[in-house]
Amino acid sequence: MSTLNNFDPSRRAFLGATMTGTALSIAGLPSQALARINAPHDSEKLKKTTEVFGFCDMCYWRCGLKIRSRDGRAVKIDGNPEHPNNWGVVCAKGNSGLMVSYAPNRLKYPMKRIGKRGAGKWKRISWEEALDTVAKNLTDIKTKHGPQALALIGHGSWEKPYHRLAHAFGTPNTTSPVFGLCCGPRGLSNMIITGRNLTGNETIDLENCKYFLMMGRNITESLHNGETLGWINGVANGAKVVYFDPRYSITAAKADEYYAIRPLTDHAFLLALIHVVIKEELYDKPFIAEQTQNFDELKERVQKYTPEWAAPITEVPADVIRRIAREMAEKAPSVFVYAPRRMTRSSNDFGTGMSITILNTLFGVWGKKGGVFTPIKYQVPEIELPEYKHAYIASRIETGGDFDYSEPDIPRDHIADEHGKFHRADGAGVMGRWPLANAQYGLTNEMWRAMAEQKPYPIRALMTAGGNGFLNSTNYDIIQKALETVDFYVASDVIPNEMNMYADILLPEASYLERYDDLQVGGAREGYVAVRMPAMKPLHDTRDAWTICKQLADRMDLGQYFPHDSIKELLDDRLKKAGSSLEAIEKVGILKIPRDDKINFPREYGQPLKIKTPSGMSKIEFIPAMLKQLGSDKALDYVEQVRPGKDEFHMTFGRIGFHTHARTQDNIWTADLMRENVLWIHPEPAKKRGITEGELVVVTDTSTGRSEKIKAKVTIRIRKDTIFMIHGFGHWDKRMTTANGQGAGDSNLASYARDPHVGSMSMGLSLVTVAKA
Amino acid sequence: MTKHYVMLADTTRCINCKACVVACRAEWETPLGFSRDWVKEVELEKADGTPQVMLFPGRCQHCDDAPCIESCPSGAAFKREDGMVLQDNCICSGCELCVPACPYEARWLNPETSKINKCTYCQPRIDEGLAPACVLTCVGRALIFGDKNDPESEVSRLLNDKDKKWERLTTDTVNIGPNHYYYTDGVALPDEVMPKQPEKHIANKVLENVVNPVGALGVGGMLATFIGAGLMKLMSRRNEVNTDNNQEEK
Repeated sequence: MSTLNNFDPSRRAFLGATMTGTALSIAGLPSQALARINAPHDSEKLKKTTEVFGFCDMCYWRCGLKIRSRDGRAVKIDGNPEHPNNWGVVCAKGNSGLMVSYAPNRLKYPMKRIGKRGAGKWKRISWEEALDTVAKNLTDIKTKHGPQALALIGHGSWEKPYHRLAHAFGTPNTTSPVFGLCCGPRGLSNMIITGRNLTGNETIDLENCKYFLMMGRNITESLHNGETLGWINGVANGAKVVYFDPRYSITAAKADEYYAIRPLTDHAFLLALIHVVIKEELYDKPFIAEQTQNFDELKERVQKYTPEWAAPITEVPADVIRRIAREMAEKAPSVFVYAPRRMTRSSNDFGTGMSITILNTLFGVWGKKGGVFTPIKYQVPEIELPEYKHAYIASRIETGGDFDYSEPDIPRDHIADEHGKFHRADGAGVMGRWPLANAQYGLTNEMWRAMAEQKPYPIRALMTAGGNGFLNSTNYDIIQKALETVDFYVASDVIPNEMNMYADILLPEASYLERYDDLQVGGAREGYVAVRMPAMKPLHDTRDAWTICKQLADRMDLGQYFPHDSIKELLDDRLKKAGSSLEAIEKVGILKIPRDDKINFPREYGQPLKIKTPSGMSKIEFIPAMLKQLGSDKALDYVEQVRPGKDEFHMTFGRIGFHTHARTQDNIWTADLMRENVLWIHPEPAKKRGITEGELVVVTDTSTGRSEKIKAKVTIRIRKDTIFMIHGFGHWDKRMTTANGQGAGDSNLASYARDPHVGSMSMGLSLVTVAKA
Repeated sequence: MTKHYVMLADTTRCINCKACVVACRAEWETPLGFSRDWVKEVELEKADGTPQVMLFPGRCQHCDDAPCIESCPSGAAFKREDGMVLQDNCICSGCELCVPACPYEARWLNPETSKINKCTYCQPRIDEGLAPACVLTCVGRALIFGDKNDPESEVSRLLNDKDKKWERLTTDTVNIGPNHYYYTDGVALPDEVMPKQPEKHIANKVLENVVNPVGALGVGGMLATFIGAGLMKLMSRRNEVNTDNNQEEK
């Protein structure tokens, strides 16, 4: 119905008369206005829309969506109330997804580079030419150097077909930043000690938890809707929150207790906590006796880590450490020691992660209400594919979120084995290099290094599916050298960025609102499988990942790895094997197996926890046998961390609730909320340097000499020896018309050091100076 | 019984994620740089020198005694029986007299339409039985909307909870019956979120200026200008509307 059909001429006439009379009786106007309350008015109308389902691509939590569309265009993104990742709520980033699709500077059609690599000069070409060129270049490199000379770096909810294509091509060198640049050390800690995966979509019984000890887990700003909502519900249900962070974040504002712990020293605090829990016998005795091993060894190893030892290191008083241990024991097992989401910070993240896993185990949280639940999994079989001939591939396991650190079935002791199959160039899962690093996701940081240095063997071609090597890593020199060294670089993405600027061929991906993708198979309290459907007609000459990869595979005689004619056929095939169909799931967006307390919380029902560790044990290993074999059990011991000199600061960075990594700064809706980042600095050091609020300052990494300019936020919300900035700013790609030149790049200042046991990055080791610009 | 809509904001559940702001933008296509709702992050220093942060989601407070309605010379601002303060787009001349009248700074001129824009409590959605866009998307479920006159409603249950003190943003001088409640778990409302003293609306100004004929002349002239401009706009809009209407019927 047109809004104008409500138009009432008589009311208009009445109004006109009123207006002319107004000057004489202005005071009488309000009552006249009120008299019209129930007259028809021309206010806003709700326009008719249709709804389809999807899951989000704005971060990696992947919330379920219900998208409203009108006239073939998506107009509003709502949450799918049935989806356990978000229960119907959607954050600012998720709401801003529309502006990915409608971005005027999207990659709209295939292009080839015509200028110098990285100069950003492009020519539009046809899909035929683009795909032919990619297939020819990759085939040439395979012929000349072997299939392992291709590296694939993916970063997005649609990267899966690219991994399959690369594996079919014959390379083991596929990687995603999730391990080496983000969650690796904590994922590994849980896996190697307990054999359980506890990252990705975390399986914490947040609503029933009674005590959250949050080690820099800024859950309100490094925000995942379902997790954050569950935590807020838990807090509303009476959970105590004790939060540690050098910066007073929003999470600190929500905490019952906040400690501005000295940067990089969480490990010392945790070791002292373990010491108290063991010494005062505050642990879950039956559980420790029945389901764990090496407890006595652990006890001996933490003997020296007294609260008095930790206090001067961490600046957390010894009596506070003791009190926290006792308080938690009182509430156990409904307690949780929360690791930070990104755990690539100190020079011993692995030890920090192990300490967290050990504490959670001592409190007996596994399989208990208010602790950690066992997820239910929706079984959706993968399609059957021919063997990957040239490389051992750690299969991408989808159940339990997308972050399963299951032990890959890969021999670890050669660069290439007796069958001539190559091992990973980044050394992930390779004996003698980074045997503990997950070979499914690899070490993206080390893959860049392998490309830049062409070691241990030549990598001559690079394919990227999303991501931004510059701003999501550190050390721009290595990234640039890698991008300039390879013979051929093909980039697939939706939006432009500094990395894909270097591509020889740019393949434009359809945005996540314009396409189907492979299924989202997850495990929460309930098992689920969710679908992504197109919510709008494609705006440009783009294609989806699966179609691009199939068309490339067909050109390289690898079509057998993409046996379906279309992505819809693939989805229908997989769903039919799971007892449903594409048609059925499209009506509801998500299929679920209901939650079941007996499965979620086996230990509440007298059932022991099912355990199988990577070392092959059926008990939780406080000191895992595999680590001892590798000499990495020493990770448990505290390592002294860098301290800033007289004029230096610890360089820290983190998240805000309305930006994701380095990928939303050019989104006009999220940018409208925050266009540039600022430098948090305490009033005391600011005053010493004559720095005032809003003033431009220069931050310099004292070891590399790299510097960034940024405006100051002078605040007591940060320690005096620490500075902070929001991650992901400082873009320089001129195609990024909104983000270009805004704020400073923390990634240009963060450290390129590595965790000595895992190979993941130690980004927090940088020390910087700050001066007026 | 007549409905009485109110919004509740449990600030202990708000995390300043701005989901409400973007959801509103998407729902009502507000131009960049403007928003019908907001979240104020108030940074405080406690007596012991440690920081404190409070978060206040806000929007039009749909006041019982709304000064914007009184200040509107065209009658475009009106209040429905269910409490919603709304704006009639056809009548609004974009004169902006209501903008300074609002002590909560909830009104602004939309540069794309030259009409006043503000939160409507998502009236078109409410009328179809849907939740306001901000409430639907709120990550912390900090926003709760409903009918205060319905004893079974969530808002009634919360407002009647004796353990929870729900407050309104009012002061001794500005107390105009806002229909937006806040829960802070006992922490005092900071000055930063309190209503500002509204600039006096025209009716008051006229009354005051009766005593001062020179001033009255000035205001009279101003009024004539505003009303004239408003009328011109109204007439041209009416012509447009008529044209559109004709096209619609074809």
